[in-house]
Amino acid sequence: MLSILLVDDDHEFTEVASHIIDFLGHTVSVAGSLAEANEWLEHNSFDHILLDFMLPDGSGIHLMDRVQHLFPVPKVTFITGHPSVKSIIAELCGPKVDYLLKPIQRECLERVLNPARQKAKKSSAAQFELHFGCLIGESAPMQALYTMIERVAASKANVMLLGESGVGKELVASAIHHASKTAGALVATNCGGLSKELISSELFGHEKGAFTGAVAQKTGVFERAQGGTLFLDEVTEMPLDMQPHLLRVLETKKIVRVGGSKEIAVDCRVVSATNRSLENIAEKNILREDIYFRLAVFPIEIPPLRERAADIPLLAKAFLASLNDENGTNYQFSQAQLQRLASFDWPGNVRELRHTVHRAYIMSDPAKDEIELPASFASPFSAVQKEKSGLTAGKTIDEVERELIYLTLKKVGGNKAMAADMLGVSVKTLYNRLSAYGGLGEFS
Amino acid sequence: MSDAKVAELAKQVHDIRKPLNRISMQAELIKLVLENNLPPQKAIEAVDKILQSCQDCSQLLENLSDPSV
Repeated sequence: MLSILLVDDDHEFTEVASHIIDFLGHTVSVAGSLAEANEWLEHNSFDHILLDFMLPDGSGIHLMDRVQHLFPVPKVTFITGHPSVKSIIAELCGPKVDYLLKPIQRECLERVLNPARQKAKKSSAAQFELHFGCLIGESAPMQALYTMIERVAASKANVMLLGESGVGKELVASAIHHASKTAGALVATNCGGLSKELISSELFGHEKGAFTGAVAQKTGVFERAQGGTLFLDEVTEMPLDMQPHLLRVLETKKIVRVGGSKEIAVDCRVVSATNRSLENIAEKNILREDIYFRLAVFPIEIPPLRERAADIPLLAKAFLASLNDENGTNYQFSQAQLQRLASFDWPGNVRELRHTVHRAYIMSDPAKDEIELPASFASPFSAVQKEKSGLTAGKTIDEVERELIYLTLKKVGGNKAMAADMLGVSVKTLYNRLSAYGGLGEFS
Repeated sequence: MSDAKVAELAKQVHDIRKPLNRISMQAELIKLVLENNLPPQKAIEAVDKILQSCQDCSQLLENLSDPSV
């Protein structure tokens, strides 16, 4: 069962869509505007957001900025009546962004909400061996990793995962959890994404009335992971002054909820993760020494993708196969394409590879079976910067919006009514935006 | 056709997509109701809404073919 946020200003549509999503076995919350969506996101977490492209108070893209900073990041599916926005979404897309074209059919809804079920039906992705149910790779560094996971799963030791961004630390955490065969759940939280004020309440929970806004009792992640695994992502981003509290819990295996007095025993394996190097952690005094030894009873280094280049073709094929399964297509890589992928050094690691495959998948010609790879794999994180050309990661939404508006105006020769239509906003909104940018410029 | 007319046409096409989308979703709902033997009242409501959306759609198309009305 998923928790879904549906954002659209057509009330009849949201009503009937809620019924259908309800029948499909998910819970759904409805927002009619960006403001309402923001309100929902303030107090609730969602697995999936279905987002209309044009809303009364702005474009759905505006919500993406906020969504990217949520933890865990929900999947986002844009709903749009304009086939032309497909390329914009392709640029924004990661494994977590998808789109639906109106009019919507139930199969499409089911497909975006539940790709896993589709996979079970006609799984060509099954030809790839999944180690511990989630890891792909047969290279020597991965074999060494699998051995370590097996060994540590048999113990109760706390594990610290070290590795660059995008190597799959969360997947390794879930591999350890599954291999441990514990009764409890795997609970994940991101220490970097929490404010200083909220971190205690997130970790240890709070009693009703503990502070302003604590309207109900809340159980913390330590309690929720009882008998299972607690995954603390970006543990090195936790404020130093919070660390003594965490140390105490690790030592005593007891927590006290914020505003409470009762000690509650907790029993879970703590798997923590960081993308900083060991030297960096010690030098910059990011993690107290005593905490480090408690968390990193068993440190595991996850190799960057360039050190296991032999796995790149395997991973690329697996990502493509799962996209093919989800969408009923049959794209394939050529040998030359696989070689090109394997020779790139992937500074963003598996995440970047996956993103590149997904992007290529969306941009490929539906009439052919061979996928089209972009001319360059460079991203803002590559050593060689891509020259400035339209959309690149790292731009703000406002910059992109402004560029898109001027580009559209240019295309229609300054006709504001036409531009507004192509952009899916009212002419009034277009004028408001233009005046916010300091006038109409060459289009006045 | 002038630019203004093209723009107006694009807007009207977009407006027509809205009732179409409603019809599609209501039809999916009816299918679900029938497949799962749910109370028929839901399906009847959905049918009424489809009929209304058809009227809306028809009106929008009317406007499109005869802008003077």
